[in-house]
Amino acid sequence: MQTELLQSTGASHKHLRLDPRTKLFIALITNTAAFSGNVWYLMVALAAIPLSLLFASNKIKSGVYCTLAYIIAVLLNELVMPATHGIPNLFIAMVATTLYRMMPGLIMGYYLVTTTTVSEFVASMERMHLSQKIIIPMSVMFRFFPTIGEEARAIGDAMRMRGIGLGSGRLFKKPMAMLEYRMVPLLMSTVKIGDELSAASLTRGLGGPVKRTNVCEIGFGVQDIAILIIGILIFIAFTIN
Amino acid sequence: MIELKNVCFSYIQGCKENGLHNINLTIRDGEVVLLCGESGCGKTTLTRLINGLIPNYYEGSLTGEVMLNGRAVNNLPLYETAKMVGSVFQNPRSQFFNVDTTSELAFGCENMGLPIEEIQRRIDETVCDFKIETLMGRSIFKLSGGEKQKIACASVSTCHPDIFVLDEPSSNLDTSSIEDLRELIVMWKSKGKTIIIAEHRLYFLRELADRILYMKEGRIKEEFTSREMKAMSLSRLSGMGLRSLFLYSLSKCKSGLSQKQGYVSLSGFVFSYKNQHPAIEIHNLSIPEGGIIAVIGHNGAGKSTFARCLCGLEKSCKGVMSVGGKSFNGRNRLKHFYMVMQDVNHQLFTESVLDEILLSMDKEDSQRAEDILNSLDLLSFKDMHPMSLSGGQKQRVAIASAVASQKEFILFDEPTSGLDFKHMQQVSDNLKQLNQMGKTLFIISHDLELILRSCTHVLHFEKGRVIDNYPIDDSGEKKVVSFFVKASEERGGTPDCLCV
Repeated sequence: MQTELLQSTGASHKHLRLDPRTKLFIALITNTAAFSGNVWYLMVALAAIPLSLLFASNKIKSGVYCTLAYIIAVLLNELVMPATHGIPNLFIAMVATTLYRMMPGLIMGYYLVTTTTVSEFVASMERMHLSQKIIIPMSVMFRFFPTIGEEARAIGDAMRMRGIGLGSGRLFKKPMAMLEYRMVPLLMSTVKIGDELSAASLTRGLGGPVKRTNVCEIGFGVQDIAILIIGILIFIAFTIN
Repeated sequence: MIELKNVCFSYIQGCKENGLHNINLTIRDGEVVLLCGESGCGKTTLTRLINGLIPNYYEGSLTGEVMLNGRAVNNLPLYETAKMVGSVFQNPRSQFFNVDTTSELAFGCENMGLPIEEIQRRIDETVCDFKIETLMGRSIFKLSGGEKQKIACASVSTCHPDIFVLDEPSSNLDTSSIEDLRELIVMWKSKGKTIIIAEHRLYFLRELADRILYMKEGRIKEEFTSREMKAMSLSRLSGMGLRSLFLYSLSKCKSGLSQKQGYVSLSGFVFSYKNQHPAIEIHNLSIPEGGIIAVIGHNGAGKSTFARCLCGLEKSCKGVMSVGGKSFNGRNRLKHFYMVMQDVNHQLFTESVLDEILLSMDKEDSQRAEDILNSLDLLSFKDMHPMSLSGGQKQRVAIASAVASQKEFILFDEPTSGLDFKHMQQVSDNLKQLNQMGKTLFIISHDLELILRSCTHVLHFEKGRVIDNYPIDDSGEKKVVSFFVKASEERGGTPDCLCV
């Protein structure tokens, strides 16, 4: 049922809360650095940031899984890979390198998406002085994805009931017709919802000339500064190497 | 004060909606005005004139003057009108800009650029007025229809407009949510706000409305006071295409419904969503085969989940249905059940009405398809695109394809939400026609008028269980009426009997 792109409601205040801008910056650093470095202890240090963030925001289960997966990736990369040859080596290299390089960025992305609420994200875009022309479509998009999901599910149900669902075998006989059956009602209803949504937002005063306020409280705290410093230090270490 | 002088409006070509002709209307401050009339009479168009969506969003040709507190709405940009008029719409799914309730309450004020402290103060005040403390900080996608509509009202209320415009706010609500809505309107009224409501359901507004405007074909035909309206007979109201004003005064009117001898028995219908206690729990249940069965209960009682399990849409529901010695598991039921959804747009797939019917047949048979269309009064539309039809016609196309697929069980999810008297009657006639064909029908509905008109049996849900299961005979009739009347009474509403 989880179709929301970002969270709609926030986590409790007990856990570590970072400013979305800090999260974005760390995500940027981990993604660039992870593809450039070759020293294993630096890579581990880099991966340690998103992993510890997961634990700090009480995502223990996913934290443990990700840590284990990353340890395996590091071990494969450092110990098993040099010891194998030929086809097995190729295979291990493929799996291990992908995990080794991609995981820090992916975990950070997962952390960003699961701990940031839409309103925090919008507020941080406003603080970054992005134009309303970008912010409003972005926030509508966050609002719209779950709706499209709901609509698509209802249409899927209707198709199953008509015997033209995915499992009906018609998919192979008439693939284009199946696509049409799925897309036409979806487009019709999203267009209608979009139309009603814009009418509703306009009657609520969206698009006025005054500067919008935003009630969502975000801002840099001690924890943000600490994380940023660690991130920057690791990044510098990467560039020196 | 709202003044409309000689207003005429027509939508640009290609638009299905009808315009308005020569509207003259003055609404004084603090009045509650109810707009009623059949679908397409121009109620919604009139509300759009007041909240400025016409001519700023919906285009068309407009003549005459619409004045709000002495300012011409035609020339005001929407964000200016928004400060004076708050609007609540029919569809709770499409009127939220944010994904969480707190941001939604702040949204209007944020757009006005109010300081944060002021917005916070207004939110606190509104939350207190509306008693929605428990709804704060929740995801919009996890609210029920009634809760969404409350948030919609609260979020326009934070902007402190003087005028509220509500366009069919009750169409997706159950009886007790309607009572909540009524209380909100009472609160606004006591604060001296001007309220304009376009509605089909009239009973919950009969004591509240200062003036009732009856519209027909784009004109204001007649004006009544609440007292005059209440004195009208049921047959006069029906003649005008209006729903009844008193729930308790309704009585069953059945004619020529056939019922088979057999029973449909259900067993083991237990289903729960992820990590939650069971949404429905039905161990044994038997219902008459070939009946028209009303499924009633409050929002969240498990009616929709029951419907999905019954149709076989929830794969993990292990319930078994048996009829006449044959038993059907979920997978088999999917082949014998058809659901006419609340939003029929989800189930019309093809380019023409005839194709839609042919798609449902195992072997395409144009002659039979045309017969079916003819029986549902759709033959003249057979080459039209289903999406170009009106709501009621779309619903009949969906019914026709159920008939074409020869499914014996048809389930209707809220078939009459937001329908006027005439269309409700049409739905009821369709149900009777299906009954004549020997189908067993399940009707999930909050519409007492429809239930008394067409159903033969009631399944009453509460907290996922069937707490009552009875035929609508004389005592059954009393029972079902009292459920609906009580639902509006127990929330502190005006008891119906006081108003006679």
